[in-house]
Order: sequence, then C-alpha cells, then structure tokens
Amino acid sequence: MKTDLFEPQIVAFMCNWCTYGAADLAGVSRMQYPSNLRIIRVMCSASVSPHHILRAFQSGADGVMVGG
Amino acid sequence: MNIELLTLTEVTAISGQEGDITATLVQHPRYVDTDKCIACGLCAEKCPKKVPDEYNEGLGKRKAIYVPYSQAVPLKYTIDPNNCLYLTKERCGLCETVCPSHAINYLDQKKEITLNVGSVVLSTGFKSFDPSGLDHLSFGKHPDIVTSMGFERVLSATGPQGGHLVLPSDKKHKKEPKKIAWLQCVGSRDENRSKNSYCSSVCCMYAVKQSVMAMDHSKAPLDCAIFYMDMRTQGKDFDTYLEKAKDNGVRFVRSRVHTVMPDPHKGNLVMTYVDELGALKTEYFDMVVLSTGLEISADSFALATGMGIELDASNFINTNSFNPVSTSMPGIYACGVFTGPKDIPQSVMEASAAAAAATEGLAVSRNTLTKAVVKPKEREVAEDAPKIGVFVCNCGTNIGGIVDIPAVAAYAAELPGVVYVEENLFTCSQDTQDKMVEVIRNKGLNRIVVAACTPKTHEELFRETLIDAGLNKYLIEMANIRNQDSWVHSDEPEKATTKAKDLVRMAVAKAFRLAPLFETQLPVSPSALVVGGGIAGMTAALSLSRQGYPVTLVEKNQHMGGNGRQLCKTWKNEEIAPFVKGLIADIEADGQIQTLLGATVESVEGFVGNFKTTVTSVDKTQLIDHGVALIATGAVESKPTEYAYGQHKAVMTLLELDALFMEKDTRLEKAMEVVFIQCVGSRDKEHPYCSKVCCTHAIKSAMAFKKKNPDTGVYVLYRDIRTYGQRETLYREARKAGILFFQYDLDSKPVVTPGENRVSVEFTDTILGRRLCVDADILCLSARIDARDNTHLSQAFKVTADSAGWLLEAHQKLRPVDFATDGVFLCGMSHYPKPVDESIAQAKAAAARALTVLSRNSINVGGIVAQIDPERCAGCGGCVEVCSYNAITMDPEREVAVVNDALCKGCGACAATCPSEAPSLMGFNNDQLYAQIKSALAV
Amino acid sequence: MDKNINTPANPQGAVMVVGGGIAGMQAALDIANSGFYVYLVEKSPAIGGKMAQLDKTFPTNDCAM
Repeated sequence: MKTDLFEPQIVAFMCNWCTYGAADLAGVSRMQYPSNLRIIRVMCSASVSPHHILRAFQSGADGVMVGG
Repeated sequence: MNIELLTLTEVTAISGQEGDITATLVQHPRYVDTDKCIACGLCAEKCPKKVPDEYNEGLGKRKAIYVPYSQAVPLKYTIDPNNCLYLTKERCGLCETVCPSHAINYLDQKKEITLNVGSVVLSTGFKSFDPSGLDHLSFGKHPDIVTSMGFERVLSATGPQGGHLVLPSDKKHKKEPKKIAWLQCVGSRDENRSKNSYCSSVCCMYAVKQSVMAMDHSKAPLDCAIFYMDMRTQGKDFDTYLEKAKDNGVRFVRSRVHTVMPDPHKGNLVMTYVDELGALKTEYFDMVVLSTGLEISADSFALATGMGIELDASNFINTNSFNPVSTSMPGIYACGVFTGPKDIPQSVMEASAAAAAATEGLAVSRNTLTKAVVKPKEREVAEDAPKIGVFVCNCGTNIGGIVDIPAVAAYAAELPGVVYVEENLFTCSQDTQDKMVEVIRNKGLNRIVVAACTPKTHEELFRETLIDAGLNKYLIEMANIRNQDSWVHSDEPEKATTKAKDLVRMAVAKAFRLAPLFETQLPVSPSALVVGGGIAGMTAALSLSRQGYPVTLVEKNQHMGGNGRQLCKTWKNEEIAPFVKGLIADIEADGQIQTLLGATVESVEGFVGNFKTTVTSVDKTQLIDHGVALIATGAVESKPTEYAYGQHKAVMTLLELDALFMEKDTRLEKAMEVVFIQCVGSRDKEHPYCSKVCCTHAIKSAMAFKKKNPDTGVYVLYRDIRTYGQRETLYREARKAGILFFQYDLDSKPVVTPGENRVSVEFTDTILGRRLCVDADILCLSARIDARDNTHLSQAFKVTADSAGWLLEAHQKLRPVDFATDGVFLCGMSHYPKPVDESIAQAKAAAARALTVLSRNSINVGGIVAQIDPERCAGCGGCVEVCSYNAITMDPEREVAVVNDALCKGCGACAATCPSEAPSLMGFNNDQLYAQIKSALAV
Repeated sequence: MDKNINTPANPQGAVMVVGGGIAGMQAALDIANSGFYVYLVEKSPAIGGKMAQLDKTFPTNDCAM
C-alpha cells in the first residue's frame, strides 16, 4: 500500500428517512465507492448542528457531509 | 402483525354470507423456504436461465429464480416453475448448491387453504391494454415504440437502462432520442379497435409527467409532443402541472392519429395524423410511447363472476354512486381500478373506504381475532455499568465473504465495555434470535451491538429480541457492515474489514452511552368530532357510529345536507334528494350522533386521542372531548363575473339550472335553444384549477333537455371535455343524441350579448373555420367551484390549505384523507371539487383512518423524542419556531420550552437550533453523537 | 354466497383482502389497524402491484417506491 497517497477521512451525517436509506440502496445495487466514508445515522438532517460538524473537524475529519 | 400475507395464492371458491364467509384458496409452490431465504441473491447470480422480466415490461431480463424487484415484500426469492431448468428438465440444480441457508426446495407442493372471514375486499387492480393487436400503431414491429408502462421502466433508475433515456433499439445504450411522441387513448375511448369505450382516467396525466421527466433525463434538448383528443387533467394540482409542462416546451397536439410506422429508410418512426382543423399531417419521431389504458384482466373477471358479482359492460364491478365500494353481493366490497379506472389517490381513498365498509357489519367482533403481544418484565439497567454484547453477522457470505469476521470479532472484544462477542452465520435467523435471548439473560448483558445489515430493515426485529430478553428495546445499536460496507467495498476486502472495525467501534461507543427510553400510554377518547353536515360529513358520522363510536356533528347552517340539497341527479341518473333526506333521517335516528346546528368550532386544544374542542352555537358554548376530528366543510359554486351572468334571466349556473329541474319550471319545456359554457372562471390565470365535476354535470343536464324534447338545440362550448372514467359513456350518448360540442380556447372565448328574451352566444366552429351564433333561451354557465374560507378552522386544528384554499392532505398520493397533524382527517369538497360518489368514498375513508386511532385503547408516546432541560433553557423560543410539528410550547410560568411527547416526531431540529443545547433527542443526544464522531476518527 | 340472510350475531372478526397492490395494501393496513385480522391474498410472489413499477408520481414527482 502506498503511504504517500492522501486518504481523506470523511464523516457523513445521514438522515434516517432518505440519505441513509439511499446509502443502503447503493449497497443493494452493489455500487462501489471509496471506503473513506464513516456514516453516522441521524433522525433528520435538521438535527445536525454546527457543533457536530465542528466537532468532526476538531477530531480530525478532512471532510464532513450532511445528507438529507 | 395482524396481516397474514398469502403470496402466490388465488381464491378458488367462496360461500356463506356476510359475517360468516368461507373462502377456499390455492397457494402455489415458491420452491424457496421463506423462513430460510435471506435474499442474498447468490441463487439468481448463478442461475443460468434468463427470462424476459415482467417487472421491466419485457425490456430487460431476469433469472428463473428471482425476486420481482429489489424492494419486494416479502423479500424472498421464487422459482418460476415454467422456466427453471431443474423443474422442467431435471437439469442444473445450481441454486440448491449455492444457497448458503439451504432454502431451496424443489419438492414444494401447492396447498389448499380454507379461511373463515366476515367480509371480503376485492382489489385486484388492472392490466394494461395490450396494443399488439392494433396494426396501425406498429407495436412490436420496432423496439422504439413502447407502452407507457415500458416507458416508466425506461425512466426508472432501477429499470433495464439504469434510468438513462436512450433508445431501446440501440443495444449499446448510447443513442438518445431527440423527439418523442405520446399517443393518448390507446385502448381507451375507442369502441372500434379496443372495445374499451370508457376513458382510462389516468393516461393524460401520466403522459404529461413522463414528458416532463423525459426532458429532465435528457442531456440535449428534447422535443416532446403529446397527441390527444381532450386533456383530462382534472385532479388536484394537475392543471398547474400541465401548464408548467407547456411552459417547459412540451407540445400538445389536439389530433387523431392515423398511423405510426417504422420508416425503413430513415430508421425512425413516421406518424400521420389529422389535426384539429382537419388537415392530414406527417411527422417523424425517434421514439413513440403508447399511452395504454387500464382494463380488467381475465383472472379478475373470472374471480368476480365466480362470486356472482355484477359487472358493467366493460367488466368493471358495478357500484352505485351512494355505495361506491359495495358490490352487488353483500359482504363483498371492492376498491381501486376493479370498480372503474382511477388514479392512485382515488384508489387509496377507496381502499380506506372499503376498509370502513367491510368492517361496519363486523364491529361487534372487533379485537376478537387480533393478536396482542405479551411482553416479559423489563430489567432495570439504567444505573448499571455497560455490559455490552456484540453479535457479528456473516450474512452467509454476504459479509463474511468480504470482511474478515473473526478479525472484527476479536477487535470488538478489546473495546471498552464489551464483555461478550459472538459470530453468527445469520444473526437475524429465528434460531439465532432464540439463542440471543438466552445469552443476554445468562451473561447479564445490558447493551447490545449487532454488526450486520441495516437498521432500516432489521432494527425492529432486534428490538423485539431485546424485549423478549427483558431489556429495554432502545438499548441496541447496529453497525451497518453489509449495505454500507461489504456490498459497496467488495473489490477492497482489506479496507472493508478496516471499515467494519471502525463501524463496530462507533456502534460500541454509542451503545456505551445508551440509556433506556420509555413510552407512556395515554388513553384515547373513543369519540369523534365531524365538522360539516353535508353528504361527506354525514356519511363519515354514520360510518363511525355504525362502528360503535359516538360522534358530535357540527353544522354551521340550521339544516343538514350541504350542497347535496341543491343537486338533482348523479351522472348515473340516481336521484340525490331522496338520498340526502335518507342520510338526514339516519343521522337523526342515530342515538350515538349528537348534532349541533348553527354551530362553529371556536378553539381546539390537545392532540391525537385527546382533543378538547370548544363549539359555539347561538345559545350556548360547549366543550367537547374527542379522540379524532374530521373536517368536511365542503365548497361552494362561485358566482360568474362574465357572460352576462346576473344581467339576464336566461343566464344561470349549473346549480340554478338543477333548481329549475327540481321545481319542474316551465321555462325548461319552452326552451328551444340551450347553450352550456364550460370552465367559467376555471383554468385561467387567477384560478388555474379544474373544478372536476362541471363537464359531467353539464352534459347530464344537456341530456335532460334532449330527453324532454329531441328537437331542442343543445350546444356545449368546452375547452377539454373531462368525462373521465366510465363517465365517457354519458359523453358518447350525448354526441349520439345530437348535442353539439364546440371547442374554444382562452383567447377565443364565446361572446354573449343579452337580447330581450334570449341571449345571443357567438363562438367559432374550428373545423369549419366559421363564427356561429345561437340565440339561447337558456345559457348555463359551468361556474368554478370555490373553496370555503377555512382559515379559523385550519388554525384551530393546526392544518393547512393550499393557495386556492383547498385543505392540504399529508401526502397527495398515499395519504389523501390524513392531515399532517395526527388525528385530524379530511373528506369531501373541502379537499377538492369532486362528485358525490368520490365524496362518499372519501368520507368513508376518513372514517376508516379515524378508526385506526379510535379502536386503540391508548396511544404510545415517547421513545425517540426530544426532551428539554429546563435548567439550560433560556426561553428564547427558537425551538418553537423550528418545530414543524407544533410539538413545542412555552411554559409561561417557568418561561421555558416544553415538548409534547404526543406531537414530537423525533427529528431533533430543536436540538440543533438551541444555542445552549437545552433540547436533546433521546437516543441521539450530543453525548452519543460526539462519541460516535470521535470514535469514527479514532485511528 | 347467500344474498338474503342477515349478518350473524357473532360475525368473524377477520377480513380477506384479495389483491396486494396499493389499494389492497391500504385496505389491509386500515382493517388490521382497527382491530380485525386480515388475510392479504396476492397472486404473484410479492405485494406492491403496478405502483411498484412506476418511476415517479405526479404532481409532486415523488419516487413511487
């Protein structure tokens, strides 16, 4: 494995009722995508506050995605 | 839980009477054990036999072992016995070899089933008209001529072309169409070629939708043309959609199509048609979509006739306008397209209506056959240190084939709080569930992590397991290592394993912080409030009373009946006045219905199950406790502002003409020339909607003149004749009877000049290209129907109306009688203009929906809801503003915000808004989320 | 079926719904949720009916699934 390649760590907040389901469907459809994403299920994207996003960056995330 | 699903099953015989019916059924073999099948798809992957896929209208292929589509319920594979190589030729057997859960059973046999039921609901739907027999449309002779159902599959992301709009003739799936034509009324409104004389009701609207969607899908500019006779977009918001399509550039060509043929030289399709001026034209298209109609299948026909049910000439179940979901056989009810062509919201309404009608006679036996859950006592664990058990699922090879499960399990064992780890072949299988219950008990586990598939489909199942083990059902967290890991990273097993470990770590971190959540039970007031005493309100009240629940019926006027008092006959020629009188008499005789006349709703407090409503009438104010509310305040015929209305006695509205008919006025006998003008005040800039009922109402009235005296000249000036469904029969009769129809547009409206005894009406005959003038004894205007002002009522019940004033349902397709506010329902014309039969269906539907609340002893509130810490709340009210469900109010004494558990939907918007983090969403609080975030990035 | 006999005093508290499309599913849910046992009979291997084949629905362009 190459060590010089930048591998971003991405945290995703996904709404249980839509995007989280879409991510499940991507699996059912066997779509392939990079494994850098760590999904956190929330009950609505409206429940994601700036604090959560900042906390993710503080903890070392290179990118944050909010899906809803 | 109280629905037993019998798939691959058909009814063979039925006997008995309403209340005690015996049905005999045959269940065909599936050859797959549904208890064992985990829908992993290995069997279909290996199956060598390809078959045209019915789900994709033959545009794609499936295997001989298959699930119809990826979201199918039950999500279990089936072997198609006509195509399976093993079942037909005893060769292959691959699926049995590869199935990891040994679910294949080639020896499966068909079974006979006998059921005892109180009533039956028939909802077998329709089959699409098969255009293969229509030579002039060349269906089957060129792959780019598709049916509308086929085109749905072309557009669909799960379809054979992955949602890419490309020509089916291009096997490389690259060539995009530049011009598409839709042909309306294929297999509808056509006695000669299809025998289907009725209008299929839904094709105009779906063609408009498909054209808009096609443009959306196409990268290059796409020319979409719809060839039609009348645009029948009579539903709620449909005309607005149509106008938007026109603005987007969809062409609408009023025409009769002569032929569609493949052009052997150019390779595309050539269409000839006659336009509205009578000229023959030719145009080329890349793709042609046939808007095929709806019809009754031979199987449905056999089913109904076998039960002795009367059908109409087109094989739809015969119903009358006052009992729209009853068949000719007591105890057998019907809904959906089986009773006539209709769209999804109308089918859903009728379905709920049939639910009410089918159970009215069984009310005394409510809850006698339903099963209730017996739960073991819950163990107190809130104060205990976490003892986390982790169950890691292989899902056959779905996860285990990619992810190194033993490594994940070993990793989990080292995580803080974890005291037990287990690997399962299938964590969701029944035997594993039973074992899990034992393990939780014996090891004293108090938090559970299941690393498997998605909580969307399996969390409920594992919550049940926790309940069985005596744990609070909220003490589980799932790590989604299948759908969001092994399946999407199957090319990178090492990374998938790393991610699986991360997901398990995140789940354990959250599980460590999970606390039991509690639901409280609130009793339901077993009574209803119905606002509006018209046909809809009265029907709903009677239905609820027959189901055993008391009703308070609030009517603004001093008498009941609403618009029904002014209507003469339905389009099926049924007298409305005696029916309305009958309803009023039934209401008055009903000891469970309290009627408040001259009364209005003042204010409403409470929520589903527990409303307290103040109703005022002239002499008193009453406080009424009720569990549900139904709004049926109706609508009103508008007073026209044009065509000399109000200036000449010959000019009147449809309801005013009905009054003349009911009074047997002599002017009707004397009238020699009668003109009807449609869409008066409707479908224009100010009022873009269609009033839905006027075409049928006007033609029915026009026919009444012709029946009285065939020599009367009767003229109907229209924009589109919208006699949808079986109402088309009336239109056809009217044309046969010699009623003359002339089409006009908004820029060529008729001109009315009042004379002494008559009014002169001038209009254009487009075919002849000439102006015509008729001196009318009676000019009847199909005036727009207006919504009533429901502002006060909507505010009181926290429901909304659209810009035209029609009350807004929770979902236009799937929840057509519910409001977004729980426990409040709508029916009748307050929702949208509609004929009597549809109002009655919607009223019964509202009753059925209300019954789903009333028949419960209590409602559960709590669980995943927000809680506000009063110590932290500064009383700013920000959360009150963002709450979409009106679930948060300010406590005036303590000046803090308070959540009503019964109204909270658990979205957590309040928690994200509050600057001082006073609200938290239970089960998703900041402590838990921060732990998940930190743990996600802990490597 | 017999047309002319009155409903018995103790009718069966169960209903059979024939056809598992959008109408049949809605009827089954409403009946079951108001205290009656439902047998939902479907000829094909899965419920869902014609609506499951549709791409989007108007006027909201929602996904039909």
